[in-house]
Amino acid sequence: MASLPKRIIKETERLVTDPVPGITAEPHDDNLRYFKVTIEGPAGSPYENGLFHLELYLPDDYPMEAPKVRFLTKIYHPNIDRLGRICLDILKTNWSPALQIRTVLLSVQALLASPNPNDPLANDVAEDWIKNETGAKAKAKEWTSLYAKKE
Amino acid sequence: MENQISDASDFAHTRIPKLSQLDTLLRCHICKDFLKVPVLTPCGHTFCSVCIREYINVQAKCPLCLTELRDSMLRSEFLVSEIIDTYRSIRSDILEIIKKPEDNAESRGNTSLIELGSEQDDSLIIDADSNEDDDIQIIESSGRKSLKRTTTDLTGSSSLRNGPRSKYFKTNSKAKRSSTASRIDSMIKKSVELVPCPICEKYFPVKELERTHLDECLTLQSLGRKPKEEPVKSKPVLKKPRVTPSEKSHLLRSHQDSKIEQDDSVSHVDKYLNSTADTGHQRLPKLDLPSMTITQVKQKLTNLGLSTNGSKQDMIARYNYFEILWNSNFCDSLNPVEVSELKRQLLSWEASRKVHNNKGSSNSIGALMTSRSDTQHAYKKLLLNLKTDKFDRKGWCTLFRKQFRRLIKDAKKMRKASIKGKEEVVSDKIQEDLIVKAETPNQVTKEKIADAVVEKPVPDSTNEEHVSDPSPEEQLTDPDLSMDLLDSLGTRSHSA
Repeated sequence: MASLPKRIIKETERLVTDPVPGITAEPHDDNLRYFKVTIEGPAGSPYENGLFHLELYLPDDYPMEAPKVRFLTKIYHPNIDRLGRICLDILKTNWSPALQIRTVLLSVQALLASPNPNDPLANDVAEDWIKNETGAKAKAKEWTSLYAKKE
Repeated sequence: MENQISDASDFAHTRIPKLSQLDTLLRCHICKDFLKVPVLTPCGHTFCSVCIREYINVQAKCPLCLTELRDSMLRSEFLVSEIIDTYRSIRSDILEIIKKPEDNAESRGNTSLIELGSEQDDSLIIDADSNEDDDIQIIESSGRKSLKRTTTDLTGSSSLRNGPRSKYFKTNSKAKRSSTASRIDSMIKKSVELVPCPICEKYFPVKELERTHLDECLTLQSLGRKPKEEPVKSKPVLKKPRVTPSEKSHLLRSHQDSKIEQDDSVSHVDKYLNSTADTGHQRLPKLDLPSMTITQVKQKLTNLGLSTNGSKQDMIARYNYFEILWNSNFCDSLNPVEVSELKRQLLSWEASRKVHNNKGSSNSIGALMTSRSDTQHAYKKLLLNLKTDKFDRKGWCTLFRKQFRRLIKDAKKMRKASIKGKEEVVSDKIQEDLIVKAETPNQVTKEKIADAVVEKPVPDSTNEEHVSDPSPEEQLTDPDLSMDLLDSLGTRSHSA
């Protein structure tokens, strides 16, 4: 009768022993369902050289329900709003219990590499992105160096 | 094996890393554990019966390919089930056999190929710290020579000592010298060697035996043409192997390990051959409980002999999970368990849910206690009057004196530690500890209560190892303080 399902323990162990390149995820000491996550901005994207902090929470019904992920670092991205909420299908309608923390974080990283302004969450950013892509990317880069500095 | 969490990566550093793929394939993609009562979807994917049924209640699609799925479409897979049972029973043996004996390596950290080769029985060792790249290098570098060697040096193993060689080659040349090696040898050779048919005891190549001969033999037997052995179907599941007169088996495999293996495989084969779908129990229907009145819901639960405690939502959740357990057990499982066992599973599921849901609420003491079977009965009696004036506070205190004392002790330790300093770095080991602790459901609630007792808890200091506590008993002997705390706890739950 474990209050923490075996699956979560296992995923945590694997995240620690066999981490994904460019991604770290550590469970909080008090709550093993709460993870502190960092993602490095993918090379070739405006977010390159940035280190983004996220929080990830596994709800009680996980894996039947998707984990909750949110950016803590400010980021200029059409699919991520001012509060850090992420517009990503697998976190909403396309969630499947066959996915796991690892795959979710990889998808978030992929979203950084290829923003999708046609399915926006931050409307103003998306508009900017469509009208003036180079300008928007420059701004994203600027924000990255401002807020997502590696320590 | 039950308590330990196994993972496909267990095979990553063995001699056959590819086994991790097999290991992964035999696992459910929902719970990541070995498939328990596997069922097949129309789209060709396999999950644990309980897992997929639970998910279908949330979302009616396949977790892997997202095609539409209903629980009536699920078909049980007896064969996969027996394959997994067999595999589970031999997994630790396999791991043991193909493990690189890194710990007894005398020259730890010695990566030189020549020196590796010069070791005697431990020569199969690749250095403990070597990663997979090293393995590849060794094989590659020896590849040039091993071709020659296999033809010339097979007999003279002494001449091999100073040269690099491939792992597989070593296994062959040293097979007779160490028992480990010979076992591996037999494992490798198994695929081409002759194996006795369990029925007629004649020898056949494994593949032929599996593909054609067994079927033939069984058919002949069931027709009664060879009466010298009793037919398989009438044998009880746990019967000892009828194969392996020992003088024959030694030709094939060295000893006990393989015997155990055969024991199991035979019984699993029998189980599979005897498998029939249980028709004694009816499928429980899915009900639209939310649209029913609470009396109707209660009626449904009572009909099944389930408790009607809690809110309507609790009852609905209870029915739904029982429906999953029931259908999984009686529709899919090869070995259905009794209804009483299902009810026990339901109870423990509910208890673990309660711990979750009450995390922040003041009812956490109740959750803590429901998880303790020994005190449960007395606790329930007391709890009856919890909300009235008749509540027996003294009785409650005595009943849980031990727990309260422990909590007080923990809380004091925490405070002490927080004063002593917060500089302790949380190491990996402590994280492991925390994970282990979190498995016991008391953990969360314990901390909650500690929060209530101590005003300034420091979460980081749950690490008790670093705290030196010279006289823990002494601290508990202050009866006034203890009673005060107990009282405050009592009123706390009272106010709930």
